[in-house]
This record gives sequence, structure tokens and C-alpha cells, in this order.
Amino acid sequence: MTAGLEIIAFAICAFIAITGALGMTTTMSMFRSGIFLMASFVGVAGLFILLAADLIGVLQIMMYIGGMLVMILFMVLVMHDPGGAMMAGMDMSFVERWFSKGLVPREPAQSGHAKHMHGDHQRGYNDHHHGNAVQPDEPNDRKAAAMRSGHGAHPMEHTDDDEQEGQVMHHSGDKHDDMDMGGMDMSMDTPVRPIAVWLAAAVSVVLVSMLLLRPAWRIIDAAPDPDSARSIGHLLMEKYMVAFEGAGFLILIGIFGAVLLARPSTHPDDPSRSAKVAIDERPEPIADDGLTPLAGARGSTEHHMHRHHRPEEHGA
Amino acid sequence: MIVPLTAYLVVGAILFAIGVYTVIAQRAAVMILMGIEVLLNAIGLNIIAFWRFTAPTDYSAQIFAILVITIGAVEMAIGLALVMLLYRQRQTVEVDAYAELKR
Repeated sequence: MTAGLEIIAFAICAFIAITGALGMTTTMSMFRSGIFLMASFVGVAGLFILLAADLIGVLQIMMYIGGMLVMILFMVLVMHDPGGAMMAGMDMSFVERWFSKGLVPREPAQSGHAKHMHGDHQRGYNDHHHGNAVQPDEPNDRKAAAMRSGHGAHPMEHTDDDEQEGQVMHHSGDKHDDMDMGGMDMSMDTPVRPIAVWLAAAVSVVLVSMLLLRPAWRIIDAAPDPDSARSIGHLLMEKYMVAFEGAGFLILIGIFGAVLLARPSTHPDDPSRSAKVAIDERPEPIADDGLTPLAGARGSTEHHMHRHHRPEEHGA
Repeated sequence: MIVPLTAYLVVGAILFAIGVYTVIAQRAAVMILMGIEVLLNAIGLNIIAFWRFTAPTDYSAQIFAILVITIGAVEMAIGLALVMLLYRQRQTVEVDAYAELKR
């Protein structure tokens, strides 16, 4: 590899990595954040390949790009404003403005108009997102929230099919404040953002100055084996066997934990349970779980109490 | 090896600083997970850069980088499951709403 080519490749990869990370954290759109993070990963993978660690570079692309696609899907599923349309009109710093270029601000009245033109399911989805615009750091009074939750769910236009969905919306609207375009704090950043900026700048300055004032590391000018993947495989299977097995076990436990966490709860006190009951006319029976039933849902209480008390005695 | 070791380490340091900023300043839980991914990337870049320049014949550093990538993947899976669970409970993904996890 000629010297000029290496410098140019390093410059391009470092630029992609740093710009991608910066764009990830400053853009207003969640979707763009995911795309920028992918670009950052690709840049870091290019740096890996430039450092003759080709196996790690390929692994980086394969694992992180796959993971990032799933993450973007989750974001579009979960966020109340994944496209950043609400935040595009807000005042931003110049970096944020540059990385959020081209986002179209959405007018609140216009979105309400578009809501009526869509089908029932689409409207319910929009209402759901409408109700999700929460201000977590502003504990407003529940009265205003209850008054406005009726407005958010459009109860006058509900057909019979919409009724059950509306109960779910009302449920979520009771707990949280409805959207209020007036004093809404919709920014993606916490109030500690100036502190975070200074802290990140301090970390960067300290690390870079430590690098520049470092004692010289002894640099060994030996080219690594071009067939490095074979050596890594041998190391994984011989010297680092326990670490390899431990990583595999960690992945197994992680999958179990993720499945266990993501399973819908069968406890009658759980909000997801009530949402399920509100939607499903014949919900799954909960008689055979190990939890204590509520006062309203009395089944075979003695059996449950027996099963509930046994581990306590065992633990004591 | 025209590009010096310090250049790679500076890139790693800048990525680390951006990750720290993201973890502290972002409000959505998913964005915090993305910041942690950037932090892990900076760590992996530092590991590989030191391997290439100080011990290029010993491949133990690449094993370490593989373990870091593995931990990143597991962390993302668990974190997304937790975010989905908390979203079902609180109807929001913003971490300020998770100030008290038990209710």
C-alpha cells in the first residue's frame, strides 16, 4: 500500500466515523440517528481493516449493522416522533441545524386534519402517538390531563369498533399528560446538556493532551500474518477457550433474559395485562401463574396463597 | 504504518467523548443505548490500534475485541428488551419518566 493511499483512506474512514457519531447525537430525527450510527460503524470498520484486523472489521459490519437495523425498527415502532417532524421547527444549535437539514416541520393543526382523513386503525395509531407526547419532568395536574385526554382521543367520532381501542388510549391518557403544544418541552436533550457538552469537551481535551504528552510506546514494526483469521481461530479454540465459552454462555443468558423480559406479563396488576384485557374479549386465563391474585379477581385463592407463601418459608 | 498510532488514538478519544455526551445529554433510552455502542466502538478501536502498533504478532488483542463486540450485542438485546418493557409500563421511552422504577 502506498503511503498516500493509506493517509487518504485513514482520513476518509476517520471522517466518516467521527461525523457519523456527531450526527447521531445531534440530529433531531431518530431515524437519521440510526443511519448516522451505521455510517459511524462502517467508518470504524474501515479503520479496523486499515489496521490489518480484517476479521474484526468484517465482524463489526456484520454484527453492528444487523443490530442497528433492528434498532431503527424499534425506534420507528416506539418513539412518538421518530422522524423528528415536531422538533424540526425548534431553535437549534448550528450543528443540530446542519444535521437536521431537510426535515419538514409538521404543523399541529395539519396533523390533526390528516388524522381524520385516514382509516380507523391509522387514526387510532395516531391518537396513540398523540397521547404519548409526555412531559416527564413537568408534573402537571391530573385534572387538566383528564380534560384534555378526551380531546386527544376524539370520543365523538368513535365508532363501535373504535371503542376498545379508545379505552386503551384513555388508559394511557389518564396516566400521562396529553400533548400541549403551548409550553411543551419536546427537545430530545436533558436539561444537563450544557454540562454534558463541557464534560465531553473536557474528556476529549484531556485524552488528546495525554496522548500528545505521552511517553513513547515501543512500536514494533512487524507486519502481521495476512492469514490472521486462522491464528485467531486457533487462539479462540486453544488458549482462550474459556473466554470463548463464557461469551457463548453470556449470549445464551442474554437471549433468555431478553425473551423473559419481552414476554407479556400475566400478573393482573400489570398495565399491559389490562390493555390486553381491553382489546381481547377472551383473554388468556391467569389462574395458573404463581402470583397472588388481586382482591377483585378471586379464583382459587388458597392454592395461590399456598404457592405464594412457600418460597418465603423456604427462604427463611 | 505511515499513519501514526496517535492519529488512531485521537479518533478513538473523540468517539469516546461523543459517546459520553450522548449518554449524558440524550433523553430517549434508545439514544442512550446508541451512545453506549459508540463508547464500545471507541474501546475496540483503541484495542486494535495498540495491537497493530505494539504487538502485531500476538493476536490476543483481537480476541479481546471480539469479546467487546459480543458484549455490545448482548447489551443491545437486553437494553432493547428493557426499553420495550418500560415502554409498555410507562408509555414513553424517555428516561426521565423512569425516575422511580418501582411503583
